[in-house]
Amino acid sequence: MFARVLEKLMKQRVTWIAAFVVIAIIVPGGFAKAFSAAPPSPEQGATEVMPPSPGLTSPDLAPLSQGPLARSPDESPNNCFKCHANLPGPHGGIASKWDASVHGRAGIACADCHGGNPETDEMILAMSPEAGFIGVPPRRDIPALCGGCHSDVERMRQFNIPTDQLPKYQESVHGVKLAQGDIRVAICTDCHGSHDVLKASDPNAAVSPYNVPYLCAKCHSDEALMEPYGLPTDQLDIYEKSVHGEALLGRKDIRAPSCASCHGSHAAKPPTSDEVVNVCGKCHTATQKLYEESLHARIGDAAPKCWTCHGTHDIIKPSEDNFLHPEPLVDQPCGECHVDDTTFRMEAARFESPEDRRCDTCHHPTSWVMTQIKAMKNALVEAQEAYQAAEDAIQDAAARGMIVNDAEVLLTEAHTSIIRARAVVHTTKLTRVTELTDDAKEAAIKARDLADTKLADNLFRRRAMVVVIGIIAINIVGLIALKYQLNRHSEGS
Amino acid sequence: MNDQVIDRPTSLAQRVIDWMDERYELRSLLDAMLHVYVPREAKTFYLGGITLFLFFMQASSGILLTLYYQPTPDTAYNSVLFITSDVSFGWLIRSVHAWGANLMIVACVLHLLRVFFQGAYKRPREITWVLGVFLLFITLGFGFTGYLLPWDQRAFWATTVGTESAGAVPVIGDFLLNFIRGGATVSDVTLTRFFGIHTLVLPVSLAAVLLVHIVLIHQHGLANPKKPAGQVKPDEEPGIPFFPHYILDEAIAWYIVLAVLVILASLFPAGLEAKANPLETPAHIKPEWYFLSLYQFLKLVPRTVGVLTPVAAAPLLILLPFLDRNPEVAPAKRPRMIAAGVLLLLAITILTVWGHFS
Repeated sequence: MFARVLEKLMKQRVTWIAAFVVIAIIVPGGFAKAFSAAPPSPEQGATEVMPPSPGLTSPDLAPLSQGPLARSPDESPNNCFKCHANLPGPHGGIASKWDASVHGRAGIACADCHGGNPETDEMILAMSPEAGFIGVPPRRDIPALCGGCHSDVERMRQFNIPTDQLPKYQESVHGVKLAQGDIRVAICTDCHGSHDVLKASDPNAAVSPYNVPYLCAKCHSDEALMEPYGLPTDQLDIYEKSVHGEALLGRKDIRAPSCASCHGSHAAKPPTSDEVVNVCGKCHTATQKLYEESLHARIGDAAPKCWTCHGTHDIIKPSEDNFLHPEPLVDQPCGECHVDDTTFRMEAARFESPEDRRCDTCHHPTSWVMTQIKAMKNALVEAQEAYQAAEDAIQDAAARGMIVNDAEVLLTEAHTSIIRARAVVHTTKLTRVTELTDDAKEAAIKARDLADTKLADNLFRRRAMVVVIGIIAINIVGLIALKYQLNRHSEGS
Repeated sequence: MNDQVIDRPTSLAQRVIDWMDERYELRSLLDAMLHVYVPREAKTFYLGGITLFLFFMQASSGILLTLYYQPTPDTAYNSVLFITSDVSFGWLIRSVHAWGANLMIVACVLHLLRVFFQGAYKRPREITWVLGVFLLFITLGFGFTGYLLPWDQRAFWATTVGTESAGAVPVIGDFLLNFIRGGATVSDVTLTRFFGIHTLVLPVSLAAVLLVHIVLIHQHGLANPKKPAGQVKPDEEPGIPFFPHYILDEAIAWYIVLAVLVILASLFPAGLEAKANPLETPAHIKPEWYFLSLYQFLKLVPRTVGVLTPVAAAPLLILLPFLDRNPEVAPAKRPRMIAAGVLLLLAITILTVWGHFS
C-alpha cells in the first residue's frame, strides 16, 4: 500500500519540488541564502566573521568555468533553468530573474557561478559535488568570483565595460574589511543583485544613479548594522534635503551627484580632507580653478576646503549669509585656530554645524581680512538687491501686459554676473568680486529703468484709454440725442 | 417786381453728387439701398452689423500690421516684437487686432444663434444662411491662420497640435496634413502659406461672400421673428426707416463695441511668449478658446471619430434651412429644433470650459 502511494507521488511534480527543497537544505550554505541580496544581520555576521580569506586574492577562486555553460540552446541544454522555471516560489523566481538579467541575455548561466552540470536532467547528478556544484558561493569569495570574468579584458571587451572593479574593490573600505574576514560589508551582489543583475544605465537597476542613495542607505541607514563601525545612519535623510539630493531625487537631474560620485562605487571610501577639492572639482571645475587661485589653497592642511564652508552630505544653496555669524563672535581663544603664533590648525568638529561654516569662525573680527570679507559680502548683497528690485519691476510690468523681453535680457546679464561674482569669492580676492558685482548692478539698474519706463507707458495707456472712452461716450450721447430728435420729428409728422 | 429766376448757389458736395448722379444715377442706387424699412418686430441685437464693424476694424488694423510684419521664421518674431515695443501705437494696433479677432468670432456666433433661434434662416433666406455659415468658417480660418503669425512658442505649438488633427482624417489624412503644413512639420513653409491665406485668400473670400450676404439681406429685408415670411403682409407693419433710424442704432452699437475694444486692448494688451522653438515642447499646449470644445472632444473620443464628427456636422449646419422643413419660426412651435440647438450649445459650452480647465 505504502509503496503504491509512494509510486503515485513520484509521478507528480510536487514530489520533485519537495525533494529539491530537502536537498537545498542539505546542500551546504543552502539555496535560500542566495535569494537574499541583503548582507547578513550584525548578529549573524558577528558569529560568522571569518579569518582573513586568502581566497579573495587567490587564483583558486577564478570563475568555475571558462565560458557560458548552460544557455546555449543549439549546443548544450540548460537543465538548471528548465527545472527552476517550473518551480513555484523563489526557487522558480530566480529563473525568471536570471532570464531578464544582463547575464541571462549574454548567456552567462547558472553553472558559471554555482558550478554543477547543466547538461544532465538528473538533479542529483547535476547538483553533485563531483560535477563541481558549490551551491551558494560564500560571501567572502563572491568579489573574486565576479572578478574572474569582470577582470578578464578579453571577455569584457565586447561589452565595453571596465575591468578594474576587483582591484578597486580590494582597495575600498568594503574590500579591506572583507579581506579581514568581515562578511557584513557590501559585496558585489549586495549592490548589483545576484540573479537579477541589470546594467547600471537601466533605471530599474539598484545601481542606477537615481537609486544609488537608497541602495547605499539599505545598509548605511541600518543602525544595528552600522553600530559596530561607529558610522552615522542619517546620511540619506540629510542628503535628500541637500541641493544635490533635491536635484537628483527630486528633479531627476542625472548630473547631480549620488553617493558613488564622491565616495566611489567599487572603490568606496570617504574622501580625505585634502582630496575633497579634487572630488568636488570633478563637477565644479570652474570653481576649483578659482579656489586654487586663492590664499586658502596655498596654506596646506590647515586651509579651508569645500566641506569647511559648504558641508558634506548637507550642502545647501549658498547665500550671502554664509559669510558671517549673525552676531559677531567674541572672545575666541587663540588656541582655537593657532597651534602657536604662526601655525594654523583646522579641526573638522568646528564646522560640523552649518551655523559655524562662516568666515568669522576662523578670521578674527578686527583683522584686515575681515574688512575684505565684509566688503565682499556687501558688494554681493547690493548686487542682489539691485537684481531683486529690477526683477520686481519687470514682473509688475509683465503682469500689466507689457512686453519685457529687452529688460529680461538685461536681468539675465545681471544674474550671470552675480553667479560669477559668487563663484569668484573662492579666489578670496575682493577686486575680482566687485568688478562683477558692479557689472551686475549696472545691468540690473538698466533693466529696472526699462521696466519703470514700461510701467510709465502703461499708466499713460490707461489714462489715454479713459480719455478715448470719454470721447466715445460723448459721441454716443450725441447719437442718442439725435435719435431722440428724429423720433420726435417722426411722431410730429 | 423782378420775376427773374435767381440760381441759388449750391455746395461743392452737392455739385459733386449732381455730377456723379448725372452720369451714374447714384441717387436711385442710394435710395434703393437706404430707404427701406425694418420690421418693428425684428430683434437683431445689431449682431450682424457689429460683426461687419469688427471686420472693418480687423481689415484696417491688419493692413497697418503688414506694414511692419515679416513672414519668415527668422524675422517674424522680432518684427512682432518691434511692432509691440517700438512702433508708435503698434501695441494698440496689434492688441486691437488680437481682441478684434476674438470679438468678431463671438459676434459671428451670437449672430448665428440669433438667426437660428428666431428661425430667420427659413424660406426665402436659405442662401443667406448658407453664406453666413461660410462667413463663420472663414472667420475661424482667420483665427487659425493668424494665430501662427507671431511665431512664438504658443503660436508654434498650438498650430502644431491644431494641424495634427488633420492627419487623422481617413484616407486623405497624410495628404491633408502635408498640404496644410507644407511639409511634415510646422516650418517656414507653413508660416508663409498661413500668412498668404490670412492676408489674401481669406480677406478676398470673406469680402466676396459678405457682399452677396448683404445684398441678399437687402433683398429680403429683416425677418419677422413671430410670423413665417409667407404670413407677413407687405403693408401690415410700417416698420422703422433703415436710414437714418436703424443706422443710428447700429452706430451706437458700433461705438459701444469700439469702447470695449479700446478697454480690452489697453488693460490686456496682446503679449508675446518666447520665440518658437521646435525642440522645446511647452508643458501645456492648448488651442485658442474657440477651438477648445473641439480639442476636448478629440481627447474624449477616438481620433478618427473626433475629426470626422465636425467634418460631418459642418454640412448639416450649412444645409440646415433645407433639412428643417418646418415653416414655423416662433420657438414655441418648433420645440425639437430648439431643444437640439440648446443641447448642442450646452455641449459646446461644457466642452470649452472642460478643455480650459483640463
